[in-house]
Amino acid sequence: MKFNLKSMAMGGVGVMAVLLASGAAHAQSVNLTYLIPSGADGVAVAEELVKSFEAANPDINIDIETRPGGSEGDNLVKTRLATGAMTDIFRYNSGSLFQAINPQQFLVDLTNEPWQADVQASFKQVVTAPDGTVRGAPMGAAMGGGIYYNKAIYQELGLSVPKTWAEFMDNNEKIKAAGKVAVAQTYGDTWTSQLFVLGDYYNVSAAEPDFAANYTAGTAKFATDKAALRGFEKLQEVHDAGFLNEDFGAAKFDDGLRMVANGEAAHYPMLTFATTAIVASYPEMINNVGFFAQPGDDAASNGLTVWMPDGLYIPQTTSNLDAAKKFVAFVASVEGCEAQSRAGGASGPYLINGCTLPADVPPAVSDMLPYFAEGGQNGPALEFLSPIKGPALEQITVEVGSGIRPAADGAALYDEDVRKQAQQLGLAGW
Amino acid sequence: MKLLRRYWLTALAILVSGVVFLIPFAFIIMMAFKDRKQAALLDFSWPQGLHLWDNVVEVVTTRNWMLLTAFINSSILTVASVTLLVVFAAMVGFVLQRRKAKWNGLVEFLILAGLMIPPAIVPTIWLLQGLGLFGKLHGLVLVEIAYGLPFSILLYRAFIATIPRDLDEAAIIDGARPFDVFFRVILPLLWPVTVTNIVVQSVAVFNDFTNPLYYLPGNQNATVQLTLYNFQSQFNSSYNLLFTNIALITIPPLIVFLFFNRQIVAGMTAGAVKG
Repeated sequence: MKFNLKSMAMGGVGVMAVLLASGAAHAQSVNLTYLIPSGADGVAVAEELVKSFEAANPDINIDIETRPGGSEGDNLVKTRLATGAMTDIFRYNSGSLFQAINPQQFLVDLTNEPWQADVQASFKQVVTAPDGTVRGAPMGAAMGGGIYYNKAIYQELGLSVPKTWAEFMDNNEKIKAAGKVAVAQTYGDTWTSQLFVLGDYYNVSAAEPDFAANYTAGTAKFATDKAALRGFEKLQEVHDAGFLNEDFGAAKFDDGLRMVANGEAAHYPMLTFATTAIVASYPEMINNVGFFAQPGDDAASNGLTVWMPDGLYIPQTTSNLDAAKKFVAFVASVEGCEAQSRAGGASGPYLINGCTLPADVPPAVSDMLPYFAEGGQNGPALEFLSPIKGPALEQITVEVGSGIRPAADGAALYDEDVRKQAQQLGLAGW
Repeated sequence: MKLLRRYWLTALAILVSGVVFLIPFAFIIMMAFKDRKQAALLDFSWPQGLHLWDNVVEVVTTRNWMLLTAFINSSILTVASVTLLVVFAAMVGFVLQRRKAKWNGLVEFLILAGLMIPPAIVPTIWLLQGLGLFGKLHGLVLVEIAYGLPFSILLYRAFIATIPRDLDEAAIIDGARPFDVFFRVILPLLWPVTVTNIVVQSVAVFNDFTNPLYYLPGNQNATVQLTLYNFQSQFNSSYNLLFTNIALITIPPLIVFLFFNRQIVAGMTAGAVKG
């Protein structure tokens, strides 16, 4: 009996020791949660980032959560921030949507992190809170807004990449004469209709460098400014010339990708994030797909309109600030870019100094690089330079692009839409 | 000719229900057999090649077998919420119908308010956080009960009005306590409307998307409807996997209903005769 008691006591001590040891092990490892928008490609990139990060930091564990995109996702992010239920790190849009989540109140200030030295200034300005502090890190690659083209059709008809709008229309004429669809448009997904207008902004800013400032101040209007009106006119021209696919009113974004990848259409105006979707759906066609910036009226000032990638943010409610900062620093490093490229996320140039793209990127991506290289020209889209973007633009561009409303009319209607938005934002001068 | 005149409406009804119910289902099944490229066309075509098994394996194993966790969570959520809903709604309906009290008006107002006033998410989350129930499955069970209760009470109340009061009085004279009257006399008589409640509410809870999205964050808490977002994003969707997932989460409730169809119908008719 006595012996039994003793062994029980010993066992008890042993159990205690094990418990203590495991308690100590627990104290060392940190669990983080990371919220990203859903979608197989985004998840693959996040998983590769987490895997590489965990290999380098074995004491930190990261759990990936997904959320819907679009306005449902905006609501979810705002709700979780407002209730203090946000994950330790999350990925969200930069630019005007970033301003809408009230960064000063909810996000951790990352201005003085050492890695900020390597982040390009063009990105910093789109994740800067109103008080001048930088609160995000770039997640993903920059996107260009321009025109995808089918290289096989270009080769067959002996065309060359247009530098001016007139050349572009000439090419379209030849493609149409050869009995092919010149421009794919997909107004079934209304947001795709805005590209000719939004992607034209580099040309606007080349002609009038202070358009964005005047536009925010309410003195420059789309309807009265000749350079800005060109975007709407271009949209109307491709429709009036009969270059569009027959089902342009009903076709969807996926149809547009299929048409330009399979050579059913020669051009598709789109943002370059679509390259990943083409790789996923039509991998054997990807070498047929090239990309060029939307041409302006002057060949000398041919340049690309650029969209900034999402940002990575840390909410102030996180309980593991140091570990979360480590992960953000990893994503904003050269190793982070490499991990993203490995997972197939290399859809354009990164915004971290020292990051390079792998040599085997699809032609649609390498076609973008000259615009970012020495001597190339690029500039951010209007929505990153001005807080005003009228919510009805996509409906108006569908009307103009379908020939229902003339370009000048559409531009005037959009100015009216912009005025309401500016008044809602409480800007001076409206 | 006479046959046509007599049955044309029936034939039309069968045709319409076939178009409305079977064609979408056939579309889901056919999409589940396709590969990604063919599925991206989103058309009503015969699948080229059989990719069902690959799709199923990929859907089930995605995100560390998330679908299995989701099925367990959804089953617990549905069974627990519907059980409690039925018990609580029947009790409230019974008391409200049988006992005339001065606060009946207030209770009825609250029930109608529950039906009409849209629930606000942020205050609900604050309340759940205060109670320590946020992000917990039983917290969501309570939310689902609260949202479903007004409708169920209305169903029960209307049905209890058709049960003669003599039955309660007979039971009370025979010495039944209040709980006995309810559980042993009234509740069994409510079977038809209980079946209606179970069917309607379990479909609603099982198919609920927004409440789990807001009130139950976290991967280990996923419910089946949330897994659909693994394959769908704003710009890049894998329609073959999406539709395989839809098929997988549609079939279990379907099997349950086919299986219990006989009990459900039997319950309804038996109740109808008795009531």
